[in-house]
This record gives sequence, structure tokens and C-alpha cells, in this order.
Amino acid sequence: MSSKMIHRHDKGAIFIHWFNAFCWIFLTLTGLGLISNEHINPVGAWWPNLMRTIFGSGETLLTFHIYVGLTWAAVILVYILIRFRDSLGFLKEVFTLSPARDAAWMIKKNVQLTLGNNALKKMGMTTDIPPQGFYNAGQKVFAQLTVLAGLIMVITGIIMYISTIILNNPTPVAWSRTIHYLMAGIAFAGLLVHIYMAAISRDERPAFKSMFSGLVPEDYAKHHHELWYEEVKNKP
Amino acid sequence: MKKKYCMVIDSSVCIDCKACMVSCKVQHNIPRGYWRNWIKHTEPDFSMGKYTFVHFQPGGCMQCDEPSCVYACPSGATYKDEETGIIHVNEDLCIGCGNCVTACPYGARYRHPVKRVPDKCDFCSDRLNMGLLPACVDTCPTKARTFGDMNDPDSDVARLLRDRETVRVVSRPVDTKPNMFYLAETMPADWPGSVEYPAAHQAMTGFVNPLVKIAVGLSGLGVAAMFLKQLFTSDETSDHEKKEEV
Repeated sequence: MSSKMIHRHDKGAIFIHWFNAFCWIFLTLTGLGLISNEHINPVGAWWPNLMRTIFGSGETLLTFHIYVGLTWAAVILVYILIRFRDSLGFLKEVFTLSPARDAAWMIKKNVQLTLGNNALKKMGMTTDIPPQGFYNAGQKVFAQLTVLAGLIMVITGIIMYISTIILNNPTPVAWSRTIHYLMAGIAFAGLLVHIYMAAISRDERPAFKSMFSGLVPEDYAKHHHELWYEEVKNKP
Repeated sequence: MKKKYCMVIDSSVCIDCKACMVSCKVQHNIPRGYWRNWIKHTEPDFSMGKYTFVHFQPGGCMQCDEPSCVYACPSGATYKDEETGIIHVNEDLCIGCGNCVTACPYGARYRHPVKRVPDKCDFCSDRLNMGLLPACVDTCPTKARTFGDMNDPDSDVARLLRDRETVRVVSRPVDTKPNMFYLAETMPADWPGSVEYPAAHQAMTGFVNPLVKIAVGLSGLGVAAMFLKQLFTSDETSDHEKKEEV
């Protein structure tokens, strides 16, 4: 552990990450609790019943879901406005894919992590993984997913919120809920992998620690984010 | 014992005075152009000369045992009260998606133009709590509408259901098991629509739900595979990682 530490996240980014994480998990759990129709809820009736017991009633649960959601959206918006240049940089970084390298990474890394290097060899592929930038291809795809899903869920959420206040046509509301649920579900599928990588995966533990300290060890950066490491290694 | 409120209607004595509709409108302050209950009628066939007739049929929400409106509601805002059998709308839980309005084959619901949530007959629950009959039953001059608890063997409705032959007006092909019974026979009987769920609801149950389950399932499977691999390959860890764990 004698290796040099490299700056990766500043305090603002660390704050917004954990704020986002808390809200996202809270909203996923309460949102799933709002679907009390057991024919629609993917886990059945026990979850909405449990949530309603915890919050006292369905109305309170809905109120919490709405206002935590609106607060989340407002804080993210303020963050983007305050750090406009950084946010644009983030979007540019995560939405820039280099097809050949990232596709190869996605296939090889998925096989390597689930089935191992031997399976990779049996499939006729080499075990070298293409070098990655500040984010690897998997992180980029997850970031794209959360950005798009977040945006769509804010829009559909607001449509549902204002429905009984000003909307005379119920059709957009009905579709909003369907789309809201679809986005939350797909994002949750991605979130499972994200949480595994952060909290359980051995290889990614330095990345998890960097979400508190902001620093990663030099050899980790070199091994996992080689292109980014090459960029920053000579900066002070 | 749990109550099961229902209505038994003798449509042959209905004179189409619409007092039930008016008293309901007044009782619940129903906005102009909307109604919670109705009187349907047959089309007169004037070729029958002096035998020409019209049959009137009072109705309202039938508080079905297999309520398509409840099945269409995702949030549980529309629910059947297990203690009374009455189907209510919890307006604070409703997001006004209109699924239930479309799903009711009897057209017993409308979206309230000001509150923007569905409104429907609840057998005048407020009046029942005060020991009064529903407004439409109370006001009917020919006593066409009989209201009561069919689980109570001494109630008027239970007696009528026991002693007299009754029919129901049902939707086809899905029978929602309505709790509104008509003595002997009634007309018209072919007016209910079919049970139709809105496209957004069909997309949710038919497409989105399976897709989300598959996505989360695959993702969970991947995570499980990675976790197992990590468990069984601990020997391969590099020196660096071993040190870190200490």
C-alpha cells in the first residue's frame, strides 16, 4: 500500500454521489411500495403492505415519494447549474463511446467477471482487456442509463404529480406511470451491478474507498483506468 | 360478520321520474353533466300500436365481486372494502390516471372535472354511517330500489334474493360479478360494454413488467456469478489486494 495516491473525486462530486444514492434507493423502495395492485407489483402484495405499515398509510408513503423525488431533482438541478462546466464534462465523458474498444471491453469483462479467464480463452478470445479512460465502458453505460432514466423519471413524475391539479386528460398520466416504472426497473437492474462492484467486489474496493476519500492508489488507476492515468500521471 | 351491501331493484315499477338521479346529484354535489346513477330504458317499438311500451331500468355502480376497476388501479386508490363490499376511491392516493374509468364496463365512473379523480356511487357511505338509507333508495316514490346487507338473513334484500327470482345485467365476455339484482327480469340487458383496460395499463402488465423482471433477473444472475467466482478464486488474489484486506 505504499503506492502514491491520485486525486479522482472532489468533495462536491462525493456529496452528490451519496445524495443521489440515498435518494435513488429511497425512491426505488417507496415507489415499489406504491404499486399496491398485487397483479402488477413484481414482488407481490407483501412489499406495499410493509411500506404502508412503516409509513403509516399509503397517502403518507405517496407524499414522501413525491417530495423526496422533487427535492432530489431540485438538488441535482442546482448542482448542475453551480458546476455547469464540470457537469457538461461529465456528460461528454460518459456519452463518448469508442465502439471497438468499449464493445470489446463489455464482452470480455463480462465473461471474465462471471465465468473467468479460462472461459474467455475457450471462447477464442485473449485475456487482455482494452485500456479504459476515467470511466470504463460498463460505468459509462450505467451512467448513461441513470442520466436518461433520471431525466425521464423527473418528467413523468411531474406529470403524475400535477395530474390531479391541472391535467384534464388522464392518458399522459397513465403512460407516465408505465414509463416511470419501466425506467426505475431498468435502472434498478443496473444498480444491482453498481452496488455489487462497490460494496462486494474485491477488485473494485479502491474505487469504493475513493467515494469517501476522493483518492485512488496509483497502481489501481494504472490497472483499471489506464487512459485516464496516462493523462493525469504527470499533473501535480 | 362481514356485511355485503347490495341493491335489489324491481325495474317493473320504475316510472322514470329520475328522483333517484336528482337526489344523488344533490347529496353528493355532482358537477353539471355528470351522474353517479342512471335510469336506462328500452326503445319503444311503435309498430306494436296500443301495446307499445317502454321498460325503465334504474342502476348505478354494481359494487362487483370481480371489479375490473380495482384490477385496473395500480396504486390501490380504488379498492373494495372487505367489511362492506362497497368499492371506494381514496382520492389522496389517486393520481388521476383514468384506468378505472375505462375499465368499468357499466360506465359507472367518471373523472371529476374539478377534483380530477374518479367519482362513483359508494351506496352513500356517509349516510349509511348515520343510519340512513342511500339517497336514491330513500327518495324513490315507487320503492323500486331495495338496499341492504345480503349477508344478514333478516334483511329485505336477503329475503327478496331468497324468495324471488333475480337476474343481473352483466358484461360480456368477462362477468365482473355485479351485486345489483333485478327482480324477475329487466330490460335493456345488452348495454354493458366489454372489460377494456387502457393501452398504458396493458403495456404495463403485458410488456413492461416482464421486461423489468428479465432485466433485474439477468442482472441479479450476473452479480451472483461474479460473487461466486470471487468466493472460489480467493487464492488468486494479488499481494496488493491481500495486504489491503488486512
